[in-house]
Amino acid sequence: MLAEYLPILIFLTLGVGLSFVLLFVGLLLGPHKPDDAKNSPYECGFDEFGNSRMRFDVRYYLVAILFIIFDLEIAFMFPWAIVLDSIGTQGFVAMAIFLVLLTVGFAYEWKKGALEWD
Amino acid sequence: MNFELIIFYFYALVATLSALAVILVKNPVHSALNLILCFFSVAAIWILLEAEFLGLVLILVYVGAVMVLFLFVLMMLNLNIKELKEGFVQHLPLAILSAGIMLVQTILLFFNIKIKTMPEISSNITNSKQLGTLLYSEYLLQFEIAGVILLVAIIAAIGLTIRKKPKENKYQNPAEQVKSHKKDRLKIVKMKTEDYDG
Amino acid sequence: MIEFIMTIWGWFYPEIQTILIIVFKIIIIVLPLMLAVAYLTFAERKIIGFMQMRIGPNRVGPRGWLQPIADTVKLMLKEIIFPAQSNKFLFILAPVLSLTPALAAWAVIPFSDTMILSDIDAGLLYILALTSLGVYGVLIAGWASNSKYAYLGAMRAAAQIISYEIAMGFALVGVLMASGSLNLGDIVDAQSGGLFHWFFIPLFPLFFIYFIAGVAETNRAPFDMAEGESEIVAGFHVEYSGMAFALFFLAEYANMILISALTSVMFLGGWQSPIAGFGDSIFWFFTKTSLFLLLFLWFRATFPRYRYDQIMRLGWKVFLPITIAWLFILGLAIYFKLPPWFA
Repeated sequence: MLAEYLPILIFLTLGVGLSFVLLFVGLLLGPHKPDDAKNSPYECGFDEFGNSRMRFDVRYYLVAILFIIFDLEIAFMFPWAIVLDSIGTQGFVAMAIFLVLLTVGFAYEWKKGALEWD
Repeated sequence: MNFELIIFYFYALVATLSALAVILVKNPVHSALNLILCFFSVAAIWILLEAEFLGLVLILVYVGAVMVLFLFVLMMLNLNIKELKEGFVQHLPLAILSAGIMLVQTILLFFNIKIKTMPEISSNITNSKQLGTLLYSEYLLQFEIAGVILLVAIIAAIGLTIRKKPKENKYQNPAEQVKSHKKDRLKIVKMKTEDYDG
Repeated sequence: MIEFIMTIWGWFYPEIQTILIIVFKIIIIVLPLMLAVAYLTFAERKIIGFMQMRIGPNRVGPRGWLQPIADTVKLMLKEIIFPAQSNKFLFILAPVLSLTPALAAWAVIPFSDTMILSDIDAGLLYILALTSLGVYGVLIAGWASNSKYAYLGAMRAAAQIISYEIAMGFALVGVLMASGSLNLGDIVDAQSGGLFHWFFIPLFPLFFIYFIAGVAETNRAPFDMAEGESEIVAGFHVEYSGMAFALFFLAEYANMILISALTSVMFLGGWQSPIAGFGDSIFWFFTKTSLFLLLFLWFRATFPRYRYDQIMRLGWKVFLPITIAWLFILGLAIYFKLPPWFA
């Protein structure tokens, strides 16, 4: 099994390497003439005002939290989906209950307006 | 030296160093990125132990989801490090206490754990299938409990973040807009023309 | 000459030989991929041009065929600008984090029944894990730039990418239920028997949702809110120039090709021909992938951009319920062994 992961390790290493080489080529071939106006953050030609790292709507956090939960459910469903033919009725019912729980949570989200964006 | 061993020591070293960096670097965003590197190296070590499913799920769930939330929060809150450091001495006893409790727990766990090896089904059944077969036959109750915990997590997350009533948003439903008719909105009133003195 | 090379080859340790062979295979995958990306940009401009009654680029080389080369050279010679007060290390790391997963995911793609770099058992999980890393490039780029537009674009893009990843994940569960394996080669084998055994028929809603979610994942039109040039100029990569920008560009197009390839592997039988046993080969894989790539370009030429609340509504309130409902239906169909697919 591990022999199959060796190409992946090499591929990841080469991917990172290639990206850095490309960036290095860009830095090497391109000019480097910094000046204040060029380096200032783009703001349609105005001088920038205020901190650029402002606070965000709480909905973004909520989306990230809900994403974790649903991602976990998917992680649970993966091993289930590939052993369907060997776990019988018991396995089917177990996943049906799990999915119903998930659907209840989802309905609650919807009802509470957690999915509304304005 | 064995090739696998070299890779193991490499990732073990990266995992340890990045874990140290998590608590030592000043910028919280850098800390989070080091934590990602740490998770990644641990996943590589799990894969070296032939637990490929768990290793990949570690990347999928922790690196791909949990750390995204961490970064979201760290980036959006725009923490001021100086402010955070102000209460350091004041909170130190509490921090030492909780760290001590965790250390004792880990030590107890380490000496009392009865390691139950996964039953060898057969080498031509894949790791993920072995896990699936076990999880959905022997550990069904635990699986359903996990489902309930996730449900609680959904409700808690919504309870913590949604404070205002959903009616207040500005969203317009196009289907409702299309269905509206003139007669619902427009009222034509007959009025007497006013007399005016010419 | 050949003898000479073989002698030198013999000097290496067997371990080094294995690694060199793998590196060679990776180059065989990556080089054509880069070329495909270059000519995909050209195809995009030409095809959208014709759809809008224009000619598209036609100045560099015969009929404009050297345009991508000229673009590459131009990007290489441009300055990489580091914005003031940006976090330089993260600023340069972000494009790397964006491109690496887009490339490394190709390790497990089966091009034909024998052509696959690494035939791991948990192939699909590996793909899902790697695509979930793509969000970091966007997030870090937006934050490190220290620019309002980049930051806004990054937050929007990140929330959008993770929302559509859910729908994508559930669609993949359907594929797994139908095929019974996480290995991509096995998934293609499970669809053998011609056109009517391909998964896009029994899994039609999931097929549809997977591809649309893929379009949203790659931040392509009509879901290119993250770029939104009319309001936040270019979104998360507004401060990037030269080669640093080129890496984001490469990653976006490599991801487009990846999504197309995955859709054809999982729903259209990969390398299999529409008529059972009639010339299964890599040719079919490329044909199907190109078909989906054309759809990507066609979408961009046709649809106006979605509004942000509409994007989130589509992902959470339309796609998610449909996928969950279809998983229930699929579970029943498999349980009762519905012919002809699950008999």
